[in-house]
Amino acid sequence: MAEREPEVEFKKETVSKLLSSFFKEDKTKLSGDAALLMAEMLKVFVQEAAMRSMKQAESEDCDQVDIEHFEKILPQLLLDF
Amino acid sequence: MSVEKEAIHQRLKAAVHYTVGRMCQRMGEDHRREFSRQVIAAIAETTFRQCDVFAKDLEAFARHAKRSTVSPEDVKLAARRSTALSIFIQNKSEELNQEQRDSKKKNTGKRKSRDTEEESRE
Repeated sequence: MAEREPEVEFKKETVSKLLSSFFKEDKTKLSGDAALLMAEMLKVFVQEAAMRSMKQAESEDCDQVDIEHFEKILPQLLLDF
Repeated sequence: MSVEKEAIHQRLKAAVHYTVGRMCQRMGEDHRREFSRQVIAAIAETTFRQCDVFAKDLEAFARHAKRSTVSPEDVKLAARRSTALSIFIQNKSEELNQEQRDSKKKNTGKRKSRDTEEESRE
């Protein structure tokens, strides 16, 4: 297959339900566009988490990305977001 | 937390876990490294918890603007901590607006058949 499959993304509906479930007030809603933008933001969050963990594993010469690699990059990841 | 809410969260967690897993798999393929299952679970869990943080922020921003519906402006604010992220989200927002303007132009010309085509794409 020469063509690249479409990128993995968060579904708009999942993001919408997810964020809505954490709202404190019942009346708070999420607009469609805001849901789409949040889906993008979450995608970036996961990509950053994965990329940074992978770079950490690479810098330690490890073949597999393990939990310790993730733990090391987690504090900065949370601060950056 | 009520039993229902707990059940909803479980399902949402599973959905997040699934998408995170696929993303990590893709990335691993691209860079010839594997992500352990623990890491994928940890990233999924962290993402899930980060949504709580985002949601509370978004709700506070909307309320501050005296709105009950979270808008793209609130999302842009939520992305303020990192310049790169902020610019990225602003660009995505612009793209969205452009797409909507384009689809409106199309719709004024041709009606019903276009509408259903747009809807099925979503």
